[in-house]
Amino acid sequence: MQLVVNVIVLASLYCLICCGYVLVYRASRVLNLAHGEIMTLGGYFLLSITLVTTGNPFVSLGLAVCASLLVGLVVYFALMKFMAGESVFAAVLVTVALGILLRGLITLIWTSQSWHPLENLGLTNTGHKLLGNAVISTFGIAAVLSAIALYVALFVCLKFTRWGLRMRAVGENPLLASQRGIDIHKYYSLSWGLAAFSGGLAGIIMACDSGLEPNMYVIGLMAFPVVLVGGLDSLGGVIPGSLVVALAQVAAISISPQASEVAPFIVLLCMLLIRPWGLFGTKEEWERV
Amino acid sequence: MSKRGVLLAVSMMLMLICWSAAWAADPYVVGFSAALTGPGSGTYAPVKDAFDVYFNEVNSKGGINGHPVKIIFEDNAAQPSKAASDAKKFATQDKVILMMNASLSSTFAPMVQVAEKSNIPILFAAAVCPAEVYPPKPDRNEFCSTAFAAKYDSRFAIKFIKEEAKGPVKLSLVAMNIPVSRGEIDFAAELASKTEGFTVLGKEAIPPPTPDFTPFASKIKDSGANWVYAWAPWETEVKTLEALRKLGWTGKFLAWAHIQAEEDLERLKDDNFYVFGTNAFFADDSAMHKKIKEAALKAKTIYPYQKLTEGWIAAMVLDQILKRTAWPATPEKVRDAMNELKVELAGLRGGPLVWTKENHFRTVNYYRVYKWDSASKRIKNVKDWTAIEVK
Amino acid sequence: MAFASGYFKTSYADDLAIVETRGRWIALIALLLGLVIFPFLASPFLTDLANQVFMALIGAVALMILTGFAGQISLGHAGLIAAGAFTTAILFKELHAPFWITLPASGLVGAILGVLFGLPSLRLKGLYLALSTLALHFIVTFVGSEYETTRGFATGIVLDPPRIGSLILEDALAWYFVLLLISVMTVIFATNLVRSRTGRAWMAIRDRDVAAAAFGIKISTYKLYAFVVCSVLTSIAGCLFAYYRGFVSVEAFSLLMTIQYIAMVIIGGLGSMLGAVLGTIFVVLLPYGIDSVADHLAVPSRFTTYMFAIKHSCFGLIMILFLVLEPAGLVGVWIRIRDYFVLWPFRYKHFGG
Repeated sequence: MQLVVNVIVLASLYCLICCGYVLVYRASRVLNLAHGEIMTLGGYFLLSITLVTTGNPFVSLGLAVCASLLVGLVVYFALMKFMAGESVFAAVLVTVALGILLRGLITLIWTSQSWHPLENLGLTNTGHKLLGNAVISTFGIAAVLSAIALYVALFVCLKFTRWGLRMRAVGENPLLASQRGIDIHKYYSLSWGLAAFSGGLAGIIMACDSGLEPNMYVIGLMAFPVVLVGGLDSLGGVIPGSLVVALAQVAAISISPQASEVAPFIVLLCMLLIRPWGLFGTKEEWERV
Repeated sequence: MSKRGVLLAVSMMLMLICWSAAWAADPYVVGFSAALTGPGSGTYAPVKDAFDVYFNEVNSKGGINGHPVKIIFEDNAAQPSKAASDAKKFATQDKVILMMNASLSSTFAPMVQVAEKSNIPILFAAAVCPAEVYPPKPDRNEFCSTAFAAKYDSRFAIKFIKEEAKGPVKLSLVAMNIPVSRGEIDFAAELASKTEGFTVLGKEAIPPPTPDFTPFASKIKDSGANWVYAWAPWETEVKTLEALRKLGWTGKFLAWAHIQAEEDLERLKDDNFYVFGTNAFFADDSAMHKKIKEAALKAKTIYPYQKLTEGWIAAMVLDQILKRTAWPATPEKVRDAMNELKVELAGLRGGPLVWTKENHFRTVNYYRVYKWDSASKRIKNVKDWTAIEVK
Repeated sequence: MAFASGYFKTSYADDLAIVETRGRWIALIALLLGLVIFPFLASPFLTDLANQVFMALIGAVALMILTGFAGQISLGHAGLIAAGAFTTAILFKELHAPFWITLPASGLVGAILGVLFGLPSLRLKGLYLALSTLALHFIVTFVGSEYETTRGFATGIVLDPPRIGSLILEDALAWYFVLLLISVMTVIFATNLVRSRTGRAWMAIRDRDVAAAAFGIKISTYKLYAFVVCSVLTSIAGCLFAYYRGFVSVEAFSLLMTIQYIAMVIIGGLGSMLGAVLGTIFVVLLPYGIDSVADHLAVPSRFTTYMFAIKHSCFGLIMILFLVLEPAGLVGVWIRIRDYFVLWPFRYKHFGG
């Protein structure tokens, strides 16, 4: 039973992180490899806010996620906007370089020691008993609930609101959409902002759950196979993808700890060999060679 | 305009590379390759802070034997190949008389290789002591001032658990998935089951970049352990403990006290969390501790003063070594000074650090155990200095 | 090529030549002479720096062939270098194999891996291909770390310097000449390969693969061939890397190494050998340049502690600047400078010239 709880908590974390990958890819066909660093940045923003103010903890949390949203917008307008017409490879490399830059800046500003913003917040991360002898921590619950809330909200918005419709249009055919009068820069920046928001939220939850350190960006890389299993442009596909990879990882721990490091990438390779566009992604052109 | 700007910047960069200045004065030159960033840097980077504060003061008072001390720091980010190129640079370009290392054990072999080839002594500070510094026949160039030591630590720890536990012990062990940590845990498990008769329930080797420690903690909790012994980098130790507590485990946890121990004991306020080490905590408030605290606050170090003990001890050791190295300094003179060294540590450890030709670790190791005491709301000294002879 | 007053080739031989004019021959020979004399005039540190540049050049030329000329994206470059280094280390430790066995063996292992890395390219393009090479990188490094832990070399494998007969390759000077020779040979090999039929097929595949197939170019063969050539060269670079450092450990072969090689190729300018050379020099020397700058300015202690982070940030920043502002890379910059001087006092070639 504890195993199930562990898998669900890990999967929710992956859902939060991968939602960002999918949003950016779907809107602009760019794979944002700096997502892990943006996620870490969210946690560090929380740290700085709690070091400066000592008010209501929920206000601090709210401010931190808003700051992450801003980061996404800034990254788009200062950087990705200029890569809008260039080749995808170049755009992806720009995100990689951005990730390197952010990593250096994070170490420079906040040093490489580990921080614990939870104590500054005044909240505690206790365990709660569930049925069947399983225990889940407060922030584990937070992760699951926020993942569910985020997905429901995104689903509703993308399907039923006007700007959701426009975002989907921009993702499918930017040229046509812009000629129909939709401001593609506005919707690209919105997708980047939302991606940074969800990533920042994941980072904050992880920072409160287990502490902040600059090496947290590695988790963004490990969340990558999830998007590939689910399909790079399928938001719904992230859920089964994260469950599969989380299950593989937790199961691999019982084999050996080293296996749990490699398990997500073995899943990735299998997926690429069998069905590269993932379980629910749009089928890309298969080479006939 | 921007494209020409880039061109200009590039050409300037290329020009500046060829223009290198020489150090004006005649200092004692020491090369220090440390993991200032990267995994484990939380343990090793504060050493630089301590060294900066200590030697800035020494140099401002005229240096040692009338010469300033120049310590060249390089960041190896816990990467062995970077450590190798740092060592090469120290030997060929900077012409150092002593090399120092404060980084993960994977960086030892390449640095030692360069040290042997160029016959320059190497001092391991703040990093685990390699096997080649122990008596009776240590490697002639390797020395170690670090607190933690393989095998001696676990011998003391297992004995302590035997003394402290009132009843049968069901022991689980925790290591980080690096060979030094795993080897030590294997040794401790042997000792525990064969010599002391504990029931050893399992050994967890946790990989370094783990986002969630809960699965490992679940395994330990499910096995029914009432004691856990961890000998690993601090993050692994403390995160395992936190995961265990989140799951509702109420047993006792004994971990090696790295420099972050004092801060985290105060943060966690856990009565069943024991840490053992060779360095005294700032909670003792001795004269030396007060001095370090004052100097650190004045210099506005990057890391808080509670983390500077290990670095300060290493700085004191280096100070003594250089004092006994007559000018002009050569690696041979440094090695001779190190082969007969006694450094008074003024309360930072249980006793002085003594090196001899046959023992590059120390002749006597003193251990202490601390834990948080909620009754008095401070860190308590559970077992005072225990001397263990190192032969 | 912008000649000030026109295009002057009068025979097929002229058109096919690598070095086009007498002026260029003179410049090339002067450069080679300069390179040969350099280590006798420079300090050991600068010689070591030059050695690092030459070693990186081999890998960069390989990647340039694969990505710049054949258009296949590969994120597994560090895995290939690791494969070469580990082959050398394993053969040395288990069989005490000498240098002249480990070098071809690394090449062979590289060829096999090249086929493996290249197989996905027959089905996948672009992003998915990059990801499959990334997955293969992780698997190679996993195998390497498993070897280390199970055979007890967990802190790394120490290698003896290579011997050829009675000559031991140990000091920087000897390494300089060996590496200079190997990298010059690599560049000549790559340049010739690229201007041959194979190279033209690669460029056709890179630009419009459907049209290339319609021309009768067998895409699968040429794609695999590109991967194999790249992998063989990279594995040989890995073998040299292992001997030069004298030490092999899996942590050195991280994703950052792959990114550095890609940066060399991109900052240099995709699609030309000169780009590979310029990019390599730039990326390898950048951290040392930052060090020199920091030495001359009075930087507070906090910055020296985080020098690594600063170099990291500068690297990322410069890569961004090049990608956004100058996609043609250093070669683009060079061409602009050269054209300025060649065409002066004109600003551009008139139409029809």
